[in-house]
Amino acid sequence: MKTDLYNCIKAAQKMNRRQMLKGTAALGAAAMLPAGKAAAAAHANVRAEILKIPGVGAGSPTDSDWQKVGEMCLGATKENVAEGEFAGVELTFMGLNNQNLHNFLFRGFLKPWEAYTGAKINWIDLAQADYNARLQQSIATGTVDFDIIEMGAPFEGDVLGKGLASEMPDWVKEQIDMDDYVDYLKAPVGTWDGKTYRVSIDGDCHSFAYRKDYFGPDGIGGAEVPTTWQEINQVSKDLVGKEDPLTGLPAHGYLDPLKGWGGFGFYFLENRAAAYAKHPNSPAWLFDPDTMTPMVNNPAWVQAIQDVMDLIEAGAYPADQINADPGTTAFQQFLAGTGSMLMWWGDVGSSARTSDTSVVGDVVGFGINPASDRVYNAQAGAWEDTRNEAPNMAYIGWGVYVMATVEGDEKKKKAAWSAAAHLGGKDLSLWASAYPSGFQPYRNSHFQFEEWEEAGYDRAFIEDYLGSNADSYNHPNAAIEPRIPGIFQYYSVAEDELAKGYAGQYGSAQETADAIAAAWEEITDQIGRDSQIAIYRASLGL
Amino acid sequence: MTTEGDLLHTVTADDISETRKRMGKLMVWGAAALCVALAVWQFAHETGRIDAGFSNWRPVLYAYMLWATALCAAQVMVRGEAGKRTLFVLPAALFVISLVVFPLLFALYISFTDWNLASVNGPQPNGWDNVVQMWNDQFYWNALKNMVYYVLAVSVEYVIAFGLALLLNAQIRARKFFRVVFLLPLMLSPVAVSWMIGKSMLEVRFGPISRVVRELGFEPSFFGSPEIARFMIMAMDAWTFIPFMMIMLLAGLQALPREVIEASKVDGATGWQSFREVIFPLMLPVSLTAIVIRIIFKLKLADIIINVTSGGPGGATDSVTSFIFREYRDRSNVGYGTLLAMVYLVLIIIFVTLLLKLVSRWMERPA
Repeated sequence: MKTDLYNCIKAAQKMNRRQMLKGTAALGAAAMLPAGKAAAAAHANVRAEILKIPGVGAGSPTDSDWQKVGEMCLGATKENVAEGEFAGVELTFMGLNNQNLHNFLFRGFLKPWEAYTGAKINWIDLAQADYNARLQQSIATGTVDFDIIEMGAPFEGDVLGKGLASEMPDWVKEQIDMDDYVDYLKAPVGTWDGKTYRVSIDGDCHSFAYRKDYFGPDGIGGAEVPTTWQEINQVSKDLVGKEDPLTGLPAHGYLDPLKGWGGFGFYFLENRAAAYAKHPNSPAWLFDPDTMTPMVNNPAWVQAIQDVMDLIEAGAYPADQINADPGTTAFQQFLAGTGSMLMWWGDVGSSARTSDTSVVGDVVGFGINPASDRVYNAQAGAWEDTRNEAPNMAYIGWGVYVMATVEGDEKKKKAAWSAAAHLGGKDLSLWASAYPSGFQPYRNSHFQFEEWEEAGYDRAFIEDYLGSNADSYNHPNAAIEPRIPGIFQYYSVAEDELAKGYAGQYGSAQETADAIAAAWEEITDQIGRDSQIAIYRASLGL
Repeated sequence: MTTEGDLLHTVTADDISETRKRMGKLMVWGAAALCVALAVWQFAHETGRIDAGFSNWRPVLYAYMLWATALCAAQVMVRGEAGKRTLFVLPAALFVISLVVFPLLFALYISFTDWNLASVNGPQPNGWDNVVQMWNDQFYWNALKNMVYYVLAVSVEYVIAFGLALLLNAQIRARKFFRVVFLLPLMLSPVAVSWMIGKSMLEVRFGPISRVVRELGFEPSFFGSPEIARFMIMAMDAWTFIPFMMIMLLAGLQALPREVIEASKVDGATGWQSFREVIFPLMLPVSLTAIVIRIIFKLKLADIIINVTSGGPGGATDSVTSFIFREYRDRSNVGYGTLLAMVYLVLIIIFVTLLLKLVSRWMERPA
């Protein structure tokens, strides 16, 4: 679980000692119930027991807690690995050190694994900002000096597409129970040319956050919360000139970030475009999978850009919105009471109640990416007047991958995969999704709300908040990010062109989209069109 | 013992045998041949012409270091005492060549390749494609145009800095205190300035400056229009670096010969006449030095822009460096980014050389 989400839930349900004890007592009682099948009981027991470490509301977990959890979750490893089997093996693990989580947790989780197997792990800790450059340079200069990597799915094109990773053995698939993954994390995500590479440890998607006080019988935004982009645009225009019920300042509708964010800003245009462009008949919505011709200048994407330009024209955004990146729209605007609707990752919902600068904690509601009244069928080249929903799985989440550096040494390879499987284990991941870890729930078993309730969480809040994630994850028409090399190059150059378009330097939305498409064509040619086509198709599972 | 040559600076006269000289030359040429042979071999291996080779270029580097060592040793072997004198400079010169000239040559090569870090094929020479791309790149020309504005702003900064320097040179109260206070912005990192001022004080909703503007009845928008956004970037950069010019000018003012200024007063010159006819002309060399150095700083402007506007709105505040940063960091476009940097380097060298040539006649203090 992301740290701020954990804090948020604690704040939201005003967890006190009595409630916590109630939860842990329930868990303890459950653990003492007469068992049915021994294995199943032991399994359930482990899940209940690890959720008591350190106990919901009992402060942030520490290294000793991570080690305890790692120790208690070693059962699956012990079934496949004999004690001391990896003696003398040294592995190098490259990952992040964000918020003192990620690698810090992995160290703790893997310490008992090291003690049991006899392997030793060396660590490369990276700040988020250095991650992409370090990875790309390692690949480009042929200096991959790590055996295991914590990596986001968007980089799969760079790593898996170039054959730099080791294929997952079948015993690992069984150990981590891959069938339990939410739908969108199943193949083709994590696979390449039909081979599986990724041990998922996280899930990501953008969800819709809105201000409840804007909507309702007397709401200035209307009686109902908008559920389509068409409604959102209309509400945003209608709110011009009205007063925010909370702050008394000018009211605003949806908050589009109009400034780039190192490529990440493009996800936010994607939110709009997904509903228009992601037709259920094809997984492709950014490029033509046969030619890599950009689809970003088709009528669906142009409509998304036009929506933003119309709102700029109507004066629907706060002042200086042209200089607002996604960080600004979420943390300096929405949470601070400016604007009423936003798309973001999970952090915004959690920060709503825990951030000192947030004033919207009591009036925030969640949903999935809004739909569209019509959808563009790129194959037929025509709009269809059918309602279309397409949640944007922005970034897809973190996974653990084993590099091809271990190939040729069976002992080392098994050790690396065993370590990865331990980190992505079913039980351990439940703990990681329930406590501050930097990771979101990503397995169907993580959404068994009774487990959370028994552990001491407030069921209503968990269902409301995590429910929106679960709905997005398992949506049949989820818009999945193409895992092609240099994907952030495409996003970054698109941000530059969009900035020009929003500043009025292009004649129209179509011209802006055409400029993006031209720039994308150049990048494709530079990276290699044929290889990009092959990788794009593989990433879509075509 | 010789009685010819530079006897004054010679500690011991050398009597170097021909064999020793030949050995010295052999060492240098042998090491050079080894280095070149290894480089050619490794190049052939890397390009797939031969199978045998090293896994990396490190052996070539070792051969280069061997050659450098041989070159230094050979100085003494071949030239004796004179060679020892050379050794005071040669290692440092070789060090500079290794760390400046080689990377520059490598960068020159890279800038004529299509190297994108995400590309499967690695760096492939692509002739003049990058130059053509640059020629047609509106973002680059826009950034160059912005640089003209930014450099012109130095003239305004100079006027302000000169005014402040005159003030601090005058007999005012708490002069030392003000000197320190005025220098404080220079001690701040531009990144800190961009966060403290650009993203906090000028923040539209919470920023204290925004609140003042709102109290005055206006709707604050500091980065909404291209002109105002560019002005705000110039202002933040100026606030940081005016103290730098000011301190140089102040040093110049304090070094002025007092008798000349006093003589002008005796002759009945007013304060303005004294400044225009005496102080300003005497300060020209210092002024021009300060302006040239400030321009060089200005040409590297990037951090504030990257943090505050990312070059927006619509490229209005983009500098060449901030644009190159995006090409490199966000787009891993190493080949094209390097070409842009190389072209910019050449432009800067030409511009600064011309500037120095142009102002050279005023750089000498009048007799």
